[in-house]
This record gives sequence, C-alpha cells and structure tokens, in this order.
Amino acid sequence: MHIPDGYLGPLTCGVMYLVMIPIWWMAAKAAREKLGDKSVPVLAMLTAISFLVMMFNWPVPDGTTAHMVGGTLIAILLGPWAAVIGVTIALVIQAFFFGDGGITALGANSFNMAFVLPFVGYYVYRGMRKILGDKPSSEMLAAGIGAYVGINVAAIAAAIEFGIQPYISPGYCPYGLNLAIPAMAFAHLTTAGPVAAVVTALVVGYIRKNRPDLLAEAAPAEG
Amino acid sequence: MEEWMKKAWIAIGFFVLIVPLGILITWNYGDAWGEWGSVSDGNTTWVPKECSGGAPLPDYNVPGWENKLMASLGYWISAIIGIVMSVITVLGVAKAIELWRRE
Repeated sequence: MHIPDGYLGPLTCGVMYLVMIPIWWMAAKAAREKLGDKSVPVLAMLTAISFLVMMFNWPVPDGTTAHMVGGTLIAILLGPWAAVIGVTIALVIQAFFFGDGGITALGANSFNMAFVLPFVGYYVYRGMRKILGDKPSSEMLAAGIGAYVGINVAAIAAAIEFGIQPYISPGYCPYGLNLAIPAMAFAHLTTAGPVAAVVTALVVGYIRKNRPDLLAEAAPAEG
Repeated sequence: MEEWMKKAWIAIGFFVLIVPLGILITWNYGDAWGEWGSVSDGNTTWVPKECSGGAPLPDYNVPGWENKLMASLGYWISAIIGIVMSVITVLGVAKAIELWRRE
C-alpha cells in the first residue's frame, strides 16, 4: 500500500499533504492532552511492531505481495489519534531510510495507513464490541473484524488515489479505477486482511490479560 | 519496565530473527500492487531524480546484496535499524509534546 514517487500527480500529492496537516495537528493536540507517561513506552513498542509487521510480506495468489500495517492495533490500545502518530512515524522512517513509499506520496500514504486505517478499524471495533459484548473472546473477535475492515478500506482509498490519475494527471499511474480497485481489494481481502485480523486479535487478547486498563481507556463509555 | 512489556519485546526479538521470511516467501513474486520500485510504462515523473531513490537502505537491503543469503542479512539489519529508529523517534516526539504541554 506504500505508494512510490512518480505514480501520483503533483495535484494529488499536494492535496493529500494539505489534508494531512490538520490531522497531524489534531493528533499532536490529542497527545498533548492525553498521552500519559505510561502510554509512551507502549506507543514506542507498538510503532516498532507496526514497522516490523510491514516487513512481513505475504504472497498474494495473483503473483504480488501484501502486508498488514498494525494501525488498528495501536488505535484499539491507545486510541486512533495515537495510531496517527505511531504509523506516521513508521511511514516517515520507511520513506526516508528504506525507499518504501515515496516522499512526495507521504501525505497520501499517511492518509491511507495512518488515518483511514486506524479510524475505520477503531470504530468498527467499537461497534462490534457493542454487538458482541464484553467477553474476552468477543473482544478479540471485534478487534480482528476491525483490523480486517480497516486495512481493506485503506487499500480502497489507495486504489482510488492511483485510479483517478489517468483522468486528472495523465502520465502518472497508468492504471484506472477499473484495474486499481480490484487489484488492491484482492490483495487485502485475501491476504493482508486475514493476517491483520489474526495478529490484531491475538495481541489484543494478550494485552487484555496484562493491561486491561489500556483497553478501558481506549473505549470510553461516552460511545 | 513492566513484566508484560519485557515479554512482548522478547516476542518482537523472535519476529526480528525470522523477518527474512518476509522476503524469502515472496522471493519470486512481483512487487506489492502499487508498491513498484521505479517509474515505468512511459511514465515521466515530475519528481526530480536526486530527490527520489536516495534512501540509504533501499528496499530494506544493503545495495548490492542480491542473493538470498545476503538479502536476508540486509533485511535483518534493516529491521533492527528500523525498530531502533521507531522507538527513538516516538520517544523524541513524546518528549517534544511533553515540553509543549508544560508551556
């Protein structure tokens, strides 16, 4: 899902950076208000986990590969704004040091993986918890479903950014929506989505046993 | 550090050890859809060449380490460097936010 340099036209890159500026600002403000001393080492560890899981590429049956992101996991444990910070940091390191994802596309990549993914994953998780109840097994199931939906919606967002290029910026991504959406959806519905669901459910199960307070903070009662 | 976090870091260490699987099981596969390395198909990029492709460890590898063994080693080094940088950056950002809070 890491869009490289040269596939999104200047207009898309610029707009995505502009969209991300208020989101990064809100994330910084949320952290200023709520990110406590006990949460910081947890966010550092979860950001490292996000970096690491993105290195585990899985074969997709069509001959490509895909990976999970870990954004929903951070959102469930520390809230979606903390996930914006953690995943953005991982993406910046990947773009500048490992050439994974373009620097010009960093706004778009952050929008998809550090904003859409954790927020969708988090609110699906919250909704599923209301439906499924408070048992540890239902919590894990809700986390898995949240991660699955989150990564797939993020993949569709990336596909739309690619797919509109032939219409608005000819000369960049040559593939239209008719190719981009099925390709991205297939990779994430079949491969990255199930991996994200299982890993997120297992880690949430482990944390619930050891730090139930994290989950309680992340799911305040105000609904 | 709390006991559960120590255990979690040990688990992370285990996954770092096996991280070369991330390239080995996809060795003969193409790039992830949308994660192509360079611009092709008559696509002239507006991104200046010198601003792109300057990453010190492109594709999580040491340039030139092409075979499976060396690429695994490069991937392993990249994972460790990336994790250390992730932790340091989060702690740095958290510190900056704390200073901002005290203003």
